[in-house]
Amino acid sequence: MKRQLTGYAFISPWLVGFAVFALAPFLISIYLSFTRYNIVTEPVWIGLGNYRNLFLHDPLFWRALVVTLKYAAVAVPLGVVTGVGLALLLNLELRGIAVYRTLFFLPSIVPVVATSVVFLWILNPQIGLVNGLLKALGVIGPNWLGSPDWAFPSLVLMSLWSVGGSVIIYLAGLKDIPLSLYEAAMIDGAGPYHRMRHITLPLLTPVIFFNLVMGVIGAFQYFTQAYVIMNGTEGPNDSTLFYALYLFNRAWRYLDMGYASAMAWILFVVIIGITLFIFRSHRRWVHYGD
Amino acid sequence: MATDAPGQRTFLALGGLLLAGLLVAFLLPKPVEHRTEGRIQVRLWHMWTAEWKTVVDEIVARFNRSQDKYEVIALSVPGLGGADTKFVLAVAGGDPPDVMAQWNPVIPSWVEAGLLQPLDAFMTPAEWAALRQEMYPVARKIGVYRDRLYGVTTGLNIWACFYLPAHFREAGLDPEAFPTSLEDLFEVGAKLDRFDGRNLTRMGFMPQLFGFNVTLFGHGFYDETKQEVTVFTPANLRALEVFAAEQARLGFDNVARFQAGINQLSFAAGWPFIGGHYSICLDGQWRVEQIARYAPELEYLTAPLPPPAGGRARAGFSNGNFMVIPVGAKCPDGAWEFIKFWSGIENPERAAEIYVMGGWLPLKPAIVQAPAYQAYLRKYPQFRTFVDLLSSEYIQVAAPVPYTSYLADRVTRANDMALQGLLSPEQALRELETEVRQEQLRRKEFGYVD
Repeated sequence: MKRQLTGYAFISPWLVGFAVFALAPFLISIYLSFTRYNIVTEPVWIGLGNYRNLFLHDPLFWRALVVTLKYAAVAVPLGVVTGVGLALLLNLELRGIAVYRTLFFLPSIVPVVATSVVFLWILNPQIGLVNGLLKALGVIGPNWLGSPDWAFPSLVLMSLWSVGGSVIIYLAGLKDIPLSLYEAAMIDGAGPYHRMRHITLPLLTPVIFFNLVMGVIGAFQYFTQAYVIMNGTEGPNDSTLFYALYLFNRAWRYLDMGYASAMAWILFVVIIGITLFIFRSHRRWVHYGD
Repeated sequence: MATDAPGQRTFLALGGLLLAGLLVAFLLPKPVEHRTEGRIQVRLWHMWTAEWKTVVDEIVARFNRSQDKYEVIALSVPGLGGADTKFVLAVAGGDPPDVMAQWNPVIPSWVEAGLLQPLDAFMTPAEWAALRQEMYPVARKIGVYRDRLYGVTTGLNIWACFYLPAHFREAGLDPEAFPTSLEDLFEVGAKLDRFDGRNLTRMGFMPQLFGFNVTLFGHGFYDETKQEVTVFTPANLRALEVFAAEQARLGFDNVARFQAGINQLSFAAGWPFIGGHYSICLDGQWRVEQIARYAPELEYLTAPLPPPAGGRARAGFSNGNFMVIPVGAKCPDGAWEFIKFWSGIENPERAAEIYVMGGWLPLKPAIVQAPAYQAYLRKYPQFRTFVDLLSSEYIQVAAPVPYTSYLADRVTRANDMALQGLLSPEQALRELETEVRQEQLRRKEFGYVD
């Protein structure tokens, strides 16, 4: 018992911090979502009013939800495919491979705001690097961030910039696959495609599953890049009105904390729902090698 | 012993790091404490940075030199760093600054949220009545909400046309005869456009800031007489149609590319007008000071944006800088002293010296009449265009409603949709009206004060 108490005493700074700065606001926000609240004056109970209005009378809420779902549906699988592909390449035993691994990992530790500002220049339609290169090839590049057709794909492409973090995890997963399996497959006459299809990918699925869950959660909370790149606006034709951006605007620009709390809880339920769906489906496609 | 070695090395490494950290902390210079013995501190938050921060620091230093009771401590909280959010949190947390300089249209929403103190409470009724009478109409529109004074302007901004006579002459136009109607201005602008193949290399004139300049056509998005937000009106529709047609002439994509290639938001030497990228450019009066500083040889003139046929002359938009005192300020009296010092409520002559430091437009006509301001106008005659607009009743500010940020965001979206040809101007305004009415209904249903 004393031993346990000593353990709790050691982790008490974290426990207190978690209770005060995460758990308490989390629980209080349930109550606030049923109120009209502007952060300074007392909250006023309005029942299900915020939820009713969000679902029935707020077109921006639906627009933001669709943009975010679209982002999760496109950027997360794209990130997984790119991450696995890069990890496979970086798993090759080449001279200087450690340097390549470092180079691919580096962007993921650059602060998001700095990355976003750099991309503002890279994707500038007139003086940007991308359109400069396209021009050299005789192609007139699009107005990446200023066009309703291209602003969203630009942010999706930008998300690949920080794929290095997941590449390292995939790489660790690849290193964990026993060599004996490849040797046995080669003795049985399996070529590179079959080794990839029947050994590498199946045994990498636990890592893909982990990155998929984290990626989906991250996608639904996508905010900083859109906020910096679009200067806090919804982007051309609301094309980059992400859910978290609309929530932020409601909370801090329009001082509608109750409404924003309701939005946060809907987001929480959506994330939990999708995560549970992925968890339930994982028995069908995740192989633990047992 | 062998198993301990890595642990010992880690311990030594961590110890070394800790020692290095302590050494750095010890060697760093101590922060300078501003406190002057016997003075009451007044904490000022403002959003100016770079060259503007220097000006604010000088104003604060002048105030502090003039005082034996208060000492203002200024803190720059950049707007893009979330100054408004920090302010709201500071008031909610009970530790706000004593005074904050703002330029976002926050007064209605902050007043309804209980964040601001009425400033007329620091005056006698007679003083307040006199000030109200003296203030320029636009200063009144910015600072007064629900018949109370919540913000005192310390530097109004008004937009007008800057233009390059050299471009006019090159196109065979007389620079002294600036167009007197918006239609003529478009015609002149088209003559001044320059292209390299399909690409625009110089823009003659492009109407911008629809949300701002809609007031040339009517009362815009807020009817002061009826005190209500107005969206789908014939005047607003006509304005959007005119703006969209002019954009279509050059093509939205072409304009967007041109503007993306120049640093049009530059607040200093990189301003595209200085570089000759625009022949006629709509911008604020502070550019006069910047041209003098960064391009003193540049030949330029200024003129008010002319009205369309049947529109309003001397109309436009202002978003001045103003000071607010939050609820919970620990030294509101000191904050009020500082506001009086800067704004010129009591001493217009002294305040005139401050206004000219930033190239700002003043609170009331007495400051314009002061020697320092008159000297400034003689030095920079193009500045007078902006001063002359101050007395216009048609200079509008953001709609004084608590959901003004929401309204502005949606107006911007409607403008984008119409300019890009994704919706007709009528469809864009109809959608905007639906969104605004929806928001109004929500606020009404849940008891928000509007």
